Amino acid sequence: MNLRSALKPGFVGGIVVVYLSAIGMVERFQDRNVITGLVGLGVVLMLVAFAITSYTAARKSDSSLLTGVAVGFISGAFVAIVTMGFEGLINAGLDVRGMFVSITPGLLETLEFGLNPVVGAFMMVVASTAVGAVSGVLVGLEYHLRSAVVFAIGITLLMSLGEPILRVTLGNLQIPTGWLYELGGLTIAGTIIVLALAFGLRWWWMSRADTRREAAAQMPEATRRTWGRASLMAAIVALVALPWIVGPFVSDVLGTVGLYVLLGLGLNIVVGYAGLLDLGYVAFFAVGAYAAAIFTSPASFLVTEEGQQFAEAGFTNLWVALPFVVIIAVVIGAAIGAPVLRLRGDYLAIVTLGFGEIIRTLVLSDWLSPYLGGAQGLTRVPAAPPSSFDLRNPQHIYYLILAFSLIAAYISYRLVDSRVGRAWAAMREDEDVAEAMGISVVRYKLLAFAMGAGVGSLGGVFFAAKIGSIFPNSFGLQVSINVLAVIILGGIGSIPGVIVGAAALVGLPELLREFGEFRLLIYGAILIAIMIFRPEGLLPNKRRQRELHEGQDLAAVDLTKEGPS
Amino acid sequence: MSHLLELEGVSKRFGGVQAVDSVDFFADPGEIVGVIGPNGAGKTTLFNIVTGFYSPDAGKINFDGHNLVGLKPNQITRVGISRTFQSVRLFAAMTVLENAMVGQHTRTKAGIYGALFNTRRTVNEEQKVHTSAIESLSFFGERLTPRINSLASELAYADRRRLEIARAMATEPQLLLLDEPAAGMNPAEKEGLIELIGRLRDEKGYAIVLIEHDMPVIKGVSDRVVALDYGKKIAEGSYDEVAADPQVIAAYLGKAGSEEQQ
Ligand SMILES: Nc1ncnc2c1ncn2[C@@H]1O[C@H](COP(=O)(O)OP(=O)(O)O)[C@@H](O)[C@H]1O
Ligand SMILES: [Mg+2]
Repeated sequence: MNLRSALKPGFVGGIVVVYLSAIGMVERFQDRNVITGLVGLGVVLMLVAFAITSYTAARKSDSSLLTGVAVGFISGAFVAIVTMGFEGLINAGLDVRGMFVSITPGLLETLEFGLNPVVGAFMMVVASTAVGAVSGVLVGLEYHLRSAVVFAIGITLLMSLGEPILRVTLGNLQIPTGWLYELGGLTIAGTIIVLALAFGLRWWWMSRADTRREAAAQMPEATRRTWGRASLMAAIVALVALPWIVGPFVSDVLGTVGLYVLLGLGLNIVVGYAGLLDLGYVAFFAVGAYAAAIFTSPASFLVTEEGQQFAEAGFTNLWVALPFVVIIAVVIGAAIGAPVLRLRGDYLAIVTLGFGEIIRTLVLSDWLSPYLGGAQGLTRVPAAPPSSFDLRNPQHIYYLILAFSLIAAYISYRLVDSRVGRAWAAMREDEDVAEAMGISVVRYKLLAFAMGAGVGSLGGVFFAAKIGSIFPNSFGLQVSINVLAVIILGGIGSIPGVIVGAAALVGLPELLREFGEFRLLIYGAILIAIMIFRPEGLLPNKRRQRELHEGQDLAAVDLTKEGPS
Repeated sequence: MSHLLELEGVSKRFGGVQAVDSVDFFADPGEIVGVIGPNGAGKTTLFNIVTGFYSPDAGKINFDGHNLVGLKPNQITRVGISRTFQSVRLFAAMTVLENAMVGQHTRTKAGIYGALFNTRRTVNEEQKVHTSAIESLSFFGERLTPRINSLASELAYADRRRLEIARAMATEPQLLLLDEPAAGMNPAEKEGLIELIGRLRDEKGYAIVLIEHDMPVIKGVSDRVVALDYGKKIAEGSYDEVAADPQVIAAYLGKAGSEEQQ
């Protein structure tokens, strides 16, 4: 091993920890118990930073243990020196906090493990070196063992971080949690049990991987299908039970995730299947929301004075409106799609970018304000939701969103391998050749656009019903970007990808609320990490994966051609 | 007497370039027409006009009773003209089989409804698409059938050319337009190609128009040869007649340098 290869990761680890400390994250997080009475989240954050840097460095080196130790040592020493430096500056009477607001006595105490500065610095180096050594040893372990250890540690951290939700959930399931959680963190006994269980389960699962694969390979087609159907049924049952298990707060988050699943599935037809980059998808979301509002709100211009009572009673309810809303969205989708779908690639993207803005501007315009409520928005959508099925109750509307997401997923699933799906795939790869194969590119683009519009409008309807009122600034560019991010994060063209992408992109920030002002920092870091480690998305679609990789291959030959040749 | 494909006075101009200059052209069922001419003579442009990618500035195009002028490429494929591209253009991320299946698009109907409800008609149709794709692929003997589940991008160059022809065959055309099918092939593969094009005519009954620079291939397959230069038709007749035509010789000699570069 050469020392210089440990220097850089060592400093990176040190700088990351100093940075996280200086922005106040370490101190704030230290209040949160991970293992109550033993470690707080602040310390865990530091240790994880040390672990990641020394682990990655150790993996690249032939003498992993030595490298791990060296990286850990350098990181810890760096942090210790900086800590002592600040300590010295403060002792010298300098106003450190004038510049570094977050360098508080509390932080220094955390960084010194509550000991005196010199012993604390020593402890920091010992701790980081130990973490480095453990990382180095981990790298050297046999794959199964390493994987089980990492899994166990990861699960334990997740269990601890997920405490707010898990405790409520387990409580709802009548499972006592006293032995597991205490004061917001895991108990020591709970930690040991979780570690052991996670390790054991992972170990057992992996040791049976071969037999399992064999069994799956030998399984007759009929049995396999039964299994597939059974797991699908189980998943659906779990989804149906979910809101009652997790309680109203998480149900509300689930509803939002579901909305994005719906929107993601719709946009996936346009971007993932047909290959049309649509940056104005929010337009259809807005059309759905506004159309729902116009049809169901008693404040709507459609409601005459005599009809007022009728509307207040909630007659014009959502069920009647739903099909009309979708039809309107599909027609609008086709109408604005028709003139622009001749454009290709980036040009199309720019024009669609305009759609989103046009809709918002129209809503705010003097011309349409009287009908669409302008900046005041439209409220009471619908006026009197059916009492048996309260749309404003997150545990109720969840089912509506779930049902339509399942339908949208089914539609996508059926289409992708059909003649229509093949035509889209062909068009996505090469429009000219698709035409030459007899595929009417305009027609299939329109079809994708209209279907995307229909599904997107459903998202709008449920959004309006969920919140009960809509305002123009709910329909900004951000929505289009988020939905696109959902499908990119999940893996373009992949249905499970959309679900996972929505859960990650929309669910994560909600669950990170606990971390207050650091929420978006963590969120951004996680997104970057996902895109670095899984550039094709979390659950990529096989075919799209191939397309992303064909780079220098066949298709590249034609990039220089002007016309079909 | 009317021909299967008939062009009358077709012209096309790109800026200052008269790519095709009032060309008369025809092709009959069961006939192989070779189109030759130096680079930039307008051969590919002629194909692009016939297949609807470019609209002619002037002239008439008739095919099997249809006026092709103004039709979109996909409509032209539907009436029975299929083509390959000078630079092989397969759906690289699709499998060999899927490429051929796409070719069946115009001969099938299933839309959203059929796909969603998996109707009996759709199931049968998918079956037919599959069979007919396999059938097109098996025309090439053992070249493509063992590889139906490989990606098109994994095929060897000559097989890519074959797959492109198979995909065109899957559209069930009456007329096949081949743009330099022998380009990049070695002499043995060219021999195979000559035989294959002959079989396409004899077994499938297609009318075939092929653009080719390779004179042995043209000589080997063509029933009739048409020579273009600067967008104009400069000669037409049997291979020997056209090859002996002073204008053709002059055109090739004049462009010999640029021909080498290609
Ligand atoms: N899309 C286009 N835009 C401008 N010029 C073109 C276009 N396509 C072909 N040309 C020009 O038309 C002429 C004939 O080209 P082409 O038909 O490709 O010749 P070839 O006989 O080699 O196939 C060339 O001068 C070419 O540059
Ligand atoms: Mg050419």
